[in-house]
Amino acid sequence: MFTQRSKVVLVTALAIAVIFSLTSVTMAKEYVPGTPLKAGFIYVGPIGDLGWSHAHDEARRICEDTFPWLETVYVESVAEGSEGLYIDKLIREEGCDVIFTTSFGFMDGTLISAQKYPDKIFAHCSGFKRNPNMMTYMADFYQIYYLNGLIAGALTKTNKTAYVGAFPIPELKRHMGAFTVGVREAKPKAEVHIRWIYEWFSPTAAKEAAEALIADGCDVFAFTEDSPTVVQVAAEKGFPSFGHYSPMYDFSPEHVVSGQIAHWEEIYLDFLAKVYAGAYTAHNLADVDYWWLLKEKAVEMGAKPGMLINPTYEDELKAIHINDPVLGMISVYDLVLKRLEQMADPSMVFDPFNGPIYDREGNLRVPEGLRMSVFELTTMDWAVDGIVGPWE
Amino acid sequence: MTGRVDFKIERRPVASGFIVFLVSLIAIFAALVVAGIFFRIYGVSPIRAYQQILRGSLGNSFGLAETVRRAIPLLLCGVGLTIAFRALFWNIGAEGQLLMGAVAATGVALFSGLPGPLLLPAMFIGGFIGGAVWGLIPAILKVILGVNDVITTLMMNYVAIYFVEWLIHGPWKGPSARGFAYSDTFPRAAWLPTIYGTRIHWPTLVLGLVLAVVMYILVNYTRSGFEIRVIGENPDAAKYAGISQFKTTLLVMFISGGFAGLAGVGEIAGIHMRLLGPSHISMGYGYTAIIVAWLARRNPLAVIITSLLFGVIMSGGDVIKVSLGLPFQLINVFNGLILFFLIGSEILLRYKISFSLRR
Amino acid sequence: MGWETWIITTLSRSLAYGTPLLLGTLGEIYAERSGVLNLGVEGMMIMGAYSAFTTAYITGNPWMGILMAAIVGGVFSLIHAFASVTLKANQVVSGLSLTMLGLGLSGMFGRGWEGKPLPATIPKITISGLSKIPLLGPIFFEGQNLIVYMTILLVPLLWYILYRTRIGITIRSVGESPATADSLGISVARVRYVCVFIGGILAGLSGGYLSVAYRPAWTEGMTAGMGWIVIALTIFAFWNPVYGMLGAYLFAALYHLAFRLQLWVSPELLKAMPYAFAILVLIFVSRGTLQKRMGAPAALGLPYTREEE
Repeated sequence: MFTQRSKVVLVTALAIAVIFSLTSVTMAKEYVPGTPLKAGFIYVGPIGDLGWSHAHDEARRICEDTFPWLETVYVESVAEGSEGLYIDKLIREEGCDVIFTTSFGFMDGTLISAQKYPDKIFAHCSGFKRNPNMMTYMADFYQIYYLNGLIAGALTKTNKTAYVGAFPIPELKRHMGAFTVGVREAKPKAEVHIRWIYEWFSPTAAKEAAEALIADGCDVFAFTEDSPTVVQVAAEKGFPSFGHYSPMYDFSPEHVVSGQIAHWEEIYLDFLAKVYAGAYTAHNLADVDYWWLLKEKAVEMGAKPGMLINPTYEDELKAIHINDPVLGMISVYDLVLKRLEQMADPSMVFDPFNGPIYDREGNLRVPEGLRMSVFELTTMDWAVDGIVGPWE
Repeated sequence: MTGRVDFKIERRPVASGFIVFLVSLIAIFAALVVAGIFFRIYGVSPIRAYQQILRGSLGNSFGLAETVRRAIPLLLCGVGLTIAFRALFWNIGAEGQLLMGAVAATGVALFSGLPGPLLLPAMFIGGFIGGAVWGLIPAILKVILGVNDVITTLMMNYVAIYFVEWLIHGPWKGPSARGFAYSDTFPRAAWLPTIYGTRIHWPTLVLGLVLAVVMYILVNYTRSGFEIRVIGENPDAAKYAGISQFKTTLLVMFISGGFAGLAGVGEIAGIHMRLLGPSHISMGYGYTAIIVAWLARRNPLAVIITSLLFGVIMSGGDVIKVSLGLPFQLINVFNGLILFFLIGSEILLRYKISFSLRR
Repeated sequence: MGWETWIITTLSRSLAYGTPLLLGTLGEIYAERSGVLNLGVEGMMIMGAYSAFTTAYITGNPWMGILMAAIVGGVFSLIHAFASVTLKANQVVSGLSLTMLGLGLSGMFGRGWEGKPLPATIPKITISGLSKIPLLGPIFFEGQNLIVYMTILLVPLLWYILYRTRIGITIRSVGESPATADSLGISVARVRYVCVFIGGILAGLSGGYLSVAYRPAWTEGMTAGMGWIVIALTIFAFWNPVYGMLGAYLFAALYHLAFRLQLWVSPELLKAMPYAFAILVLIFVSRGTLQKRMGAPAALGLPYTREEE
């Protein structure tokens, strides 16, 4: 028996060795502008999550429909740490010219691959490391969270608004901060109560976290999690909420006031077009960072596309007035429109993080007359005054 | 014409190696045929799909390297599991033991302060101990208190998962991770070398191959191995022969847990270079290794082949995801089917079915 | 905030989240009592969740979805019954493959169903008179749904059957000593098939509750490990439906409290607790006399083959 088995082992090992030595790596050349282009997308979650990965994939499809010269492939549910392997696969076997990696956790792996394939073009979403052939991009919601916060502050009766967060990372801390700035502008005494679920996707955790916030007396809900759970929980109790990532109006037409919708296609279309035209190559991306906001239309505020504020809440918001130092007495509804206009303006007349802003320990974090820089925003780790709850 | 087909099912004494091999092959083939139906549903020709999978996982050096890389943790866990299964200890906990090995190795890499050349060996030793301790707990509970091993090992996987989660969210969260739940990256001296151009961390691979051979010899040619086999094949006789179940169970779980721990070291020092979320450290290697050991019919040497086979299936999953654009969940269907057909085929090994036509 | 509110919200959440756990646990108790360990709970649950959602979506009737979940869960469990009873295969391996198969099939066919709201979901009811009872009223009679009540009613029923009827004695004897049961003329195979089937139905219901009542939506992998908590709870319950109820509601209350008390308690610690408890309980009941009274069914996980003369 031993001899028979060991033969099998030996033959297998030999076969492996032979294949190893025979096959040669075939590598495609650098992309020539104007020729058909192939882009590969690497997602961290399943495209069926109705959140982050779903939104990126929608954008990918739009790109493919828009550009006749574009072909795309995607890989879903890629574990962090495995991105290098899929990049290899997409480049060597699928012949991709451009690779998009769409999770912060893919940052180091993408950089290593970018150095390994200096002729290929890489784009990493939500990170901060770049290379001559690797750009970074992000469609950020913080301005919209601020606008949602304004509405939330106006609508809360208990002076407690709620935010269910996925992970305590800079991105969420920034969004919570912006939301809080909005809430306090509308109602200086109101608080933002937060809970973390430590998952990007967990309907049960999101549900119980929302229920816990309801039990604490919160009556308006925002969140960051890849399912419509929080919207549904709030609706059951008749509380207003803000959809996240995908349009969530359909899950509760009466109670979704507004929300954040991503339009990743704006970034993808722009970038791919420039690669096709030869403006972006594998040698000039070291300083390219798409930090796209309202003014670039990479993000949209709304309960669903085109519906800025759910009409059900229009009258209520028009009836609530606040005294703005610059604009004077103004209804919350009009203030939201005004701020939206200001932020959509190319010169960004207004930004949520205009000083003075204090953290919850009472330290002045953003002095009067200053704004937070993109770097400060992407590394934000302090809690804006008004946030109540665990911070790590 | 009237005739009658008679079935006769008899117990088969011991199936020969060849029959085992043949039956396993048939089972896998049957599973592939059934899985082919799902390819059809998605409008992909099963034959073309399998061709692509084979080409993508074995047909070029790159795919092959990935197959081998995934086979490494399966090999280590699988070899350990064959030993535990031999002694009828149902270790479902390789996943948790792997994670605890990774934890121990991370502790050594980040906090031991050992000089460069000593670091990796210390990580392997630490990882072995981490996995072995995690494996010994259910072993001790079983031999002293008679606690069901299936359940304890399974439950301890989850305790390990949340322990890792706690570490990366709490005390071991790296200051350079920017708020994300990772440990800091290991110092360079704690990185395993890889075969050029691939992600095969070869020291772990060599370790796995050597241990497979060593375990084969241990089981078949040593006193301890004899005791393990007797306990597994005939517990009553073992008692009669004065074989200590206490000692043997502890030994097999020391090995099984320790090997899974080594697999954890390989993943953490060869692929990730830091401690991160449990589902990113191991893509269910500990569970897949159960199938691997099962398919190898508890023969440590055969694990070399079966782990490679599942390496093919796992990197074949990439083909399904990338080239065919099918839902990656198809892999779970695949694995489930293969397992069912394998356990179904057991009946062919235990019983002899003969047909005869009577007139 | 008053302590009454704390009790009310905690217990009412415990009922809502405990219901799917309890349904699964009750089913697994029956399967294991007959001697069949079924690690496929997660797979059966997710199949239930998927079929309930799609059926409710197509028919517009959530109860049709619940019914379908029970049927699909039950039928799906028969794969495990066939493997472990008829083929006498290793139950651990068979159960694991059932879970893989369930996650795989539901994930595959579930493509395109995510992000769709159901036209109707299982309604929450408030019993106007009873909800006025202090403390108990708001917990039990306000905003719960029918499935919650049905699940609670199942507990005494399943307990009674298991401990006070011939059927129950039969089931338990098959799990304790199949050879004796066999010699008394009981068909071990039939009893085990039925018990696994019951387990499948209840696990399917549990998944259905998740996708059309608890949080009406379909998302891939939405059971998120609840099936494994069920396995732990079954042990925690000493294989007794009444303790199963206590365990499921206690765990659900803790799960909810984990979010209420997030400032003070590590969530990982709370998440690991049911599994750690299950181990402790096993240690506790594995000793001497307790083993007989409260321990695992003696033949749990062992295929039964009649000794041939």
